[in-house]
Amino acid sequence: MRSHPGRGSRQHPLVLFDHLTYTFPGSSVPALDDVSMEFQEGEFVLVAGASGAGKSTLLRCLNGLVPHFTGGLVRGEVCVAGRYPVVEGPHNLSRYVGFVFQDPEAQFVVDRVEDEIAFALENAAVSPAEMRLRVEEALHLCDLAPLRNRRVDTLSGGEKQKVAIAAALAMRPRILALDEPTSQLDPQSAEDILQGLVRLNQELGVTIVLAEHRLERVLPYVDRLVYLSSSDRGVLSGPARRVLSEIDLSPPLVALAKAIGWDPLPLTVKEGRRFAAQIPYPSPRSSGQDAGLRAASGDAQVEIRNLHFAYNGRPVLQGVDLQIARGELVALMGRNGSGKTTLLRCLVGLVRPDSGKIEMRGESLIGRDTVDICQDVGYLPQEPDDLLFADTVGEELDITLRNHGLHGRPPISPDELLVRLSLEDVKERYPRDLSAGQRQRVALGAVTVTRPDLLLLDEPTRGLDYRAKLELVRLLREWQAEGASILLVTHDVELVAQAADRVALLSQGEIIANEPPGLLTSSPVFAPQVARLFPGSGWLTVDDALEGLGSQGAGISGSSPDARRALTGDCDSEGVGQPRASSSERGGT
Amino acid sequence: MMTQRLTSRRLTSAAIYLLSGALGLVAFIYPFFVPVVAPDRAWAHGQDAPLLTAALVGFSVLALMVELQGRSLSAKTVAMLGVLVAVTSVLRFLETAFPMPGGFSPIFAPIMIAGYVFGGRFGFLMGTFTLLASALITGGVGPWLPYQMYTAGWAGLTAGWLRSLASAVRRPRSGRVSRPGVGAGHLSEDCGQARTRWSILTLCIFGFIWGLLYGAIVNVYFWPFAGGPAEQTWAPGIGLGETLARYAAFYVVTSLAWDLARAVGNVALILLLGAPMVKALERFRRRFNFEVGDIGQRAGSTQEEAGIRV
Amino acid sequence: MFDARVWLIWALTTLAAASSTRNPLYIIVLLLITTVVSATCPEGEGRRAPLSPLRFATFAVPLSTVFNALTVHFGDTALFRLPHWLPLMGGTITLEAMSFGAVNGLTLTVIFSAFSVFNQVTPVRDLIKLAPRAFHEGGVVLSIALTFIPQTARSLNRIRDAQAVRGHRVRGVRDWVPIVVPLLVSGLERAMGLAEAMVARGYGAVSNEAQPVRSAGVLVLGLLALLGGWLAYLFRPAWQTGAVGTMIVGAALVGVVVWLTGRGVRHTVYRARHWTLGDSLVLAGCAVTLSIALTQPTALQYSPYPRLELPPFAPFVGLGMLGLLVPAVVTMGHEATAPQPAKPTGQQAHLKADH
Repeated sequence: MRSHPGRGSRQHPLVLFDHLTYTFPGSSVPALDDVSMEFQEGEFVLVAGASGAGKSTLLRCLNGLVPHFTGGLVRGEVCVAGRYPVVEGPHNLSRYVGFVFQDPEAQFVVDRVEDEIAFALENAAVSPAEMRLRVEEALHLCDLAPLRNRRVDTLSGGEKQKVAIAAALAMRPRILALDEPTSQLDPQSAEDILQGLVRLNQELGVTIVLAEHRLERVLPYVDRLVYLSSSDRGVLSGPARRVLSEIDLSPPLVALAKAIGWDPLPLTVKEGRRFAAQIPYPSPRSSGQDAGLRAASGDAQVEIRNLHFAYNGRPVLQGVDLQIARGELVALMGRNGSGKTTLLRCLVGLVRPDSGKIEMRGESLIGRDTVDICQDVGYLPQEPDDLLFADTVGEELDITLRNHGLHGRPPISPDELLVRLSLEDVKERYPRDLSAGQRQRVALGAVTVTRPDLLLLDEPTRGLDYRAKLELVRLLREWQAEGASILLVTHDVELVAQAADRVALLSQGEIIANEPPGLLTSSPVFAPQVARLFPGSGWLTVDDALEGLGSQGAGISGSSPDARRALTGDCDSEGVGQPRASSSERGGT
Repeated sequence: MMTQRLTSRRLTSAAIYLLSGALGLVAFIYPFFVPVVAPDRAWAHGQDAPLLTAALVGFSVLALMVELQGRSLSAKTVAMLGVLVAVTSVLRFLETAFPMPGGFSPIFAPIMIAGYVFGGRFGFLMGTFTLLASALITGGVGPWLPYQMYTAGWAGLTAGWLRSLASAVRRPRSGRVSRPGVGAGHLSEDCGQARTRWSILTLCIFGFIWGLLYGAIVNVYFWPFAGGPAEQTWAPGIGLGETLARYAAFYVVTSLAWDLARAVGNVALILLLGAPMVKALERFRRRFNFEVGDIGQRAGSTQEEAGIRV
Repeated sequence: MFDARVWLIWALTTLAAASSTRNPLYIIVLLLITTVVSATCPEGEGRRAPLSPLRFATFAVPLSTVFNALTVHFGDTALFRLPHWLPLMGGTITLEAMSFGAVNGLTLTVIFSAFSVFNQVTPVRDLIKLAPRAFHEGGVVLSIALTFIPQTARSLNRIRDAQAVRGHRVRGVRDWVPIVVPLLVSGLERAMGLAEAMVARGYGAVSNEAQPVRSAGVLVLGLLALLGGWLAYLFRPAWQTGAVGTMIVGAALVGVVVWLTGRGVRHTVYRARHWTLGDSLVLAGCAVTLSIALTQPTALQYSPYPRLELPPFAPFVGLGMLGLLVPAVVTMGHEATAPQPAKPTGQQAHLKADH
């Protein structure tokens, strides 16, 4: 849609997919079916789709990992920079395609940053002088010069991914392909990485193919959006606005825009505000109504008073006060290193606080053994895979019961729990074979089979797609309805907007804010997209906005011509746009 | 033509194993024979003995490594070896945190189990590299290292043979080439309970034997220093028996307790942890269609390895 | 300070020198040399062995002394007599036997000390680079292992906590299963991800050696030669030179195979260390010592039996052994002439990068 003189006008596209069909070994259904599209040199391509739709597979076709590394059956053709990955294999293609993977922990062979960057060059038998030049280049491109002598395991997740990108760039590839590089990172690092990629594309013209869930961060800079649908195996490819208008999966802003019928689709809050400013909306509803919908009443089930904890002399928690009522979901937010995980560990007994009080239903939890506490307190760690080792899903639940000696009389029937977790069809399967969302639910089952009254979740939505997140929220609401208190540590603002009754901010070892999410929306850092779109409205989610606007009756049936003019700069004779407000159109958030 | 090449390949690799084993054997038993067979030589050259032995064992290890490693290790094998060696090393440090009888080393059980699941070749490499990595990290590199690597490697190798043996015994091979000691130990679908128990039991026996043998072999290094050939052994009446007795005494004094602890520890670990570990590794192997590249296959021909059809 | 290969040669030369004699005076000289080198040469991110040579000596020397004294009943200076019926120990306990045992213990200490120095001064990464090109992949395996160890340790703690949180208590060995198995499996899953990343970065070059069978055959011949030569050397004194020759041929054949295999590996090295004058000096010193150790058996030979006497000391042998002191001399020389040794600290690197 944007016109770029010089781009997209070449005869030979950089990447050409020609009726590509790929089937995994042992599978009857193709993972990619008849995919045909082109990428031009210098484009920033975003590949979107639900988990399991084939984004990773598509990316791996670019450098021949599919099918050389994975096996399987390939039909059709892929041509990248004049080479044929399917025939030549990843070794030859490594000079043309740089690849960055999802897990920052599993990409490094050597333990020094500089040596890791040189690894690819060593394998390609590049001369030492040339190597030094390229390593300098790569370090500079990714802002890694101060870290060059550091050991890789001392770096943060974001820095590790930067090193991976630098290592990929050292070969001066024509294309940089990245498979969900930010899904394991916190928002700040993710922002860093994505902005870095944008810069690489815009200032250096590096062709980038990025698979990503967090579409909103890069949508404005993207030249082409490729959408893979898991249902009909179809592929949509084209300018961002066009593809977005045809699909369900979109960030809240776009979903709202589609529902209201704003056209052309705004991709940033700034663009959206031009539309939103034309619509009068009511003053904020009292947050009490919101809270009333979700939280149950009751006095505090969990009480934390004046908790102190120091690690190696460094104070981490300095007087934390927090109460959680029965059936309440409190979201705990804060920067990395602010002590959120430490607080959770104190609660479950893995570390012992130096002073303070933790009480649940009047009984102190301090000093009790973890094994004791965890009957009443369920803790889902950041890596749910750490829990899984049994042969079947059903056995995982049994093991916890046996550990507690509750096998004979379980507090909740394991089969019932499996149904609630939507895992009843996979009861006999090996847990590690399942998808990320399912594995997380198995782990959840393993810690909640004892029917704990307090549930602690540490960054549960890392790496999950929209659908899995919704599943999780539904589950949490069910547990809340049964009276469990939930403490959720997260960075995900949209999740907080959807699920939390209260938000607590942890900073400098203390809780500095503790209020319903509506009141936090005025803060630019913590406000979800909808809130930023309609500041002062108290709306957090797309549903809120649609309800609010619907009750207003204004502007919901079409785009305001004024707003459209403001964006496109010309007069439109189409009149009021097509009505698109059907509830099924509200895509996932 | 292909089968011809394969057969000669198998022959040569069998020969290399044999010769390398023979070198190791001679290294082990020479101190007992030399004083008897060539008494007047022994004294004058007794001093070079440990040097020579270490060098020869070193060459033996080198040859086996070249043979097994060559250039045909795929990225998957390399990565797996690296990670498994890391896991075993970490387990080793963990166990030192607990008061365990000296000599007990938790690294042999994983080496043998890995060799059992992934084949003798993998087991040999894992044994060698684990000892090497441990030595590098703990600063224990020394002239005894070739012996350590050698023995640990053979422990892993024989564990792999055990598997091929087990499958050969249970199901007569039909059309599948069985490569003793070198093959990947093609996984047969039947992983029945009885078979697992039998395998674990045999692994335990192997673990016990290797626990003792490891100590015995590494001790041979120190033997010439403690009770090496000296003129006194040429007093009349001294024979092979006497020398052996002296070595036995040396062994008992210095390392029997250690080695027993190790051997018993191996058995305990394999007995208690063996079955779940084998199961987990087997499953992993099935999930990833993992086969250690066969001899004669060039590295980078991942096409064959991945089994693709285009 | 010096190349890792040079240090290895130094340690091996010390080993050779120590093994070549049982003369306590020379052994003591060697011990002093290794101590001096250990004290002067700086640690190069190496790891100190858990046992210092001194502590090693305190149990090795008495042990071998006592063992030898109790089991060898030969020599003229009798100290006392043990009853005859004792299985191995019955007989005269002689001073000669004790002193022989003591010297043996000291020799072991020297070897241990030399390798302690080696471990101390060579960073692990350099050791990995020591691997000949044929074993490049082995070097990668070790590299990966070392890189993954901290991560695995963290994983271990996380898994322990995770299992504790579902009620798992660690009481016996069996209870390690829920910890070891996830550790193994997640490690292996990571390994698959790592393999993918390696392949994506061009690892796994197809080498151009066309005849793996041929090189294996040569290997077989080499091993045969080594084995045959060794057996002949041990058991047939008449064929000594022939035997040694065969062994050398065998070693050469194995070496050739290794070299040929290495040639097939296409691979350059990023941080190649340049050969310095110091390296050559150390090598020269080692050559001197080695030549003395190998060519002067008579001068080196000493036996306490049958009667304990003062051991001879040939000055030129002593001087020859001083060849092993070169690393210490060169290091001290360096420190004297260059008062600010340029050790790149993190801060300096930071400043350099900012210019």
